[in-house]
Amino acid sequence: MSSVRSIGTYLPRWGTDAARVCGPDEDAVTLAVAAGRGALRGIAAGDVRRVVMVTRRPPLVDGGNGAALLAGLGLPATTDVVEQLGGGPAAMATLATAADGTLVIGVDTEEGAGAAGALTGPGGAPLDPGSTLARSLPVRTRDLDGVVHDYDDPRLLRERGSARAIGMVGAAGGVAAVTGLGAREAAALTGPGAPTAPTRGASAPLFAIAALTEAGQGGTVLALEQASAAVAELSAGAIAVHHDARRAAALPQLRQHDGPELAIALAGYDRAFDPKLRLEAARCAACGTLSYPPRLRCLECGSEEPTSTVALPRHGEVYTTTTIRIPVPSLATPYSLAIVELGDTEVRLLVHVTGTPPGVVRIGDHGTLEFRLVAVRSGVPDYGYAFLPDEVDDPTEKPENTANEEVGP
Amino acid sequence: MRRVAIVGAGMTPFGEHFGLGIKELLPMALSEAEANVDKGFARADFEAAWFGELTTSDGFASGILADSCGLLDIPITRLENACATGNDAVRNAVYGIASGAFDVVLVMGADKVRETSTRSTFWDWMTMTRDMAWDYPLGLVAPGNFALHAARYLHESGATREHLAMVAVKNHHHGVTNPKAQLRQEITIEQALNAPLVADPFGLYDCTPQSDGAAALVLAAEEVVDRYTDRPVWIRGVGLGLDRVMHAHKRDMTTFPATVKAAKAAYAMAGVGPDDIDVAEVHDCFTAVELIDYEDLGFCERFDAKSLVERGETAVGGRLPVNPSGGLKSKGHPPGATGVAQCVELVEQLRGEACNQVDGARVALAHNIGGPTAVSAVTILGSEPA
Repeated sequence: MSSVRSIGTYLPRWGTDAARVCGPDEDAVTLAVAAGRGALRGIAAGDVRRVVMVTRRPPLVDGGNGAALLAGLGLPATTDVVEQLGGGPAAMATLATAADGTLVIGVDTEEGAGAAGALTGPGGAPLDPGSTLARSLPVRTRDLDGVVHDYDDPRLLRERGSARAIGMVGAAGGVAAVTGLGAREAAALTGPGAPTAPTRGASAPLFAIAALTEAGQGGTVLALEQASAAVAELSAGAIAVHHDARRAAALPQLRQHDGPELAIALAGYDRAFDPKLRLEAARCAACGTLSYPPRLRCLECGSEEPTSTVALPRHGEVYTTTTIRIPVPSLATPYSLAIVELGDTEVRLLVHVTGTPPGVVRIGDHGTLEFRLVAVRSGVPDYGYAFLPDEVDDPTEKPENTANEEVGP
Repeated sequence: MRRVAIVGAGMTPFGEHFGLGIKELLPMALSEAEANVDKGFARADFEAAWFGELTTSDGFASGILADSCGLLDIPITRLENACATGNDAVRNAVYGIASGAFDVVLVMGADKVRETSTRSTFWDWMTMTRDMAWDYPLGLVAPGNFALHAARYLHESGATREHLAMVAVKNHHHGVTNPKAQLRQEITIEQALNAPLVADPFGLYDCTPQSDGAAALVLAAEEVVDRYTDRPVWIRGVGLGLDRVMHAHKRDMTTFPATVKAAKAAYAMAGVGPDDIDVAEVHDCFTAVELIDYEDLGFCERFDAKSLVERGETAVGGRLPVNPSGGLKSKGHPPGATGVAQCVELVEQLRGEACNQVDGARVALAHNIGGPTAVSAVTILGSEPA
């Protein structure tokens, strides 16, 4: 049995209320960071001993995602990190059997995208693991190269897959919440008005637990994935829930342009990794000035004494901005860039704008810095921060022409 | 230091020279410069050369100049300083003569921007100008590089996109009569304002084209000038200025500190001030840059550049004509050649031979700003040595 202290959820801004989709600067790691940071609100970093990311879509198979995940979460690189391939049942079983101090994050990046992270620890709501069941009826498959096969037989899946699985884990008598099924099938099991999840994969049972908690309920939670299933029993208890979800909006029409692979210098990537992914500046020992990126020689006084590391504020104001509308090979256009001045510091960052249509941000706008995928360079996901403008009343995009001609340097 | 004069100047037309390689463009520009020397010139008189080129299209740059122009027996230094390359080549050559090391030297500038596909050009340039780990992957392409400045400049100065359009219309108008210019057509304010956007606030007509071309200057020490001409153009001042390379570190993006520093050095060396300038060729890779240049070079008060274009003061016929050649905007911008070609234009202006002649021009200024808006070069020329 585990004890769930807190849950953070995240939904990408794009798509519909029924099914969100990732933006071009989002992947399983950025979604996991957004949800995980919600779960870690007000939690001391020392309270987290292990992070388990459960997803069917890790950005990298070889090369690893754990370091970027820990950096984005602000956890020490010495934290135990597990990348688990799985869907709802895997996330459910992992959370229900997790030792205290485990942050389990389920991530879904396909249509119906979202992520939810749950942290275990003393004083939370008890979650008692029930049966799990692994069966093979792979109606839909995808291999390591991303090749998808769909057998396309929903009735077979329902009757020989989910219906049998529900019976075999002993959930046929009704459950408080079910994930991985269509709304009608789910309602048939739970009765009307039961909490639902906006996703159907690894994040879904965690969304369901958050929803039950907010409704002041406990009960049996059932997670399904094709013919496999897991159940757990949630008892009433105190779970701090934090949601990060904006109104859904249609993903802006972007054009992707063929071009050369973006080069990467891995030695430079390595040197920049911590300050870039952890948003940490160097404070000058002599004059206190913050330099970002950290550098040997102080920006202000020229001191070359050893510096201390300082976490930067994650909110700021746009100093200047532009929107690139011409075709840029290897990137999706148009995209907005902004120089953002952070909090009460003099530190500015040149960043992409995220979560809002290109061309909408103006000088003076306020917003936050969010962990995002800046680019994929020679196969390496290059993470950093992007500016998310504070939510205001329906931003309207000014319709504008776009140049196709090439222009000079 | 010895005084240095330009005794011959020449350039190829600027344009998309798909049919001409760097090995053709260099000898073409050099031959024109030599032919421009009044009393004749023998190539063997060159004792050294400085060659400004940003990108190399066919390999080793200095060697290509030596090989393609028959200059195998003199020292040649290739120089790269972003878009300030051309005027910085002039600056280095001036010191070569002023120091007493040489009497006659060659300054060449060239680039073949259109030798690579437009698809790869943007990223090639960003490799040269952006921090690889931090800024490169953001896709801050060249127009965006300057658009970040322009957006803030418009925000603070009260200038509008109409003022940008006025710069474009003026420089296109100047370029029409320049046989070396790449874009020789008139445009209207409406055309400029209604053109497709490239990088806000820049539309298509706010941007320089991509160009190939070469330009050459023959420089001589004052002791030997008489051998070549009775109407030398004196290089009275040179200056180079730098700034921080990351845009996030530029505290005030409505000005280019590199320009201010380069101009201060050049004015001091020349013993003149902004009020003494009769004609200028300034860096207008994007229209707003020309407005900021007016202020950084001291042609007007801060945030008053809009008044200059509103009143037509910087058009030929105005108080201080700027970019009578058409500027980068209309003449074109092969970066290594650009600064050298500005001097070619100003030599013609000071000799009274320019296609858009500024009456009575005696002191002239050339200016570039480039890279991540972090380097500027200024050259001041005069029809009198001091």
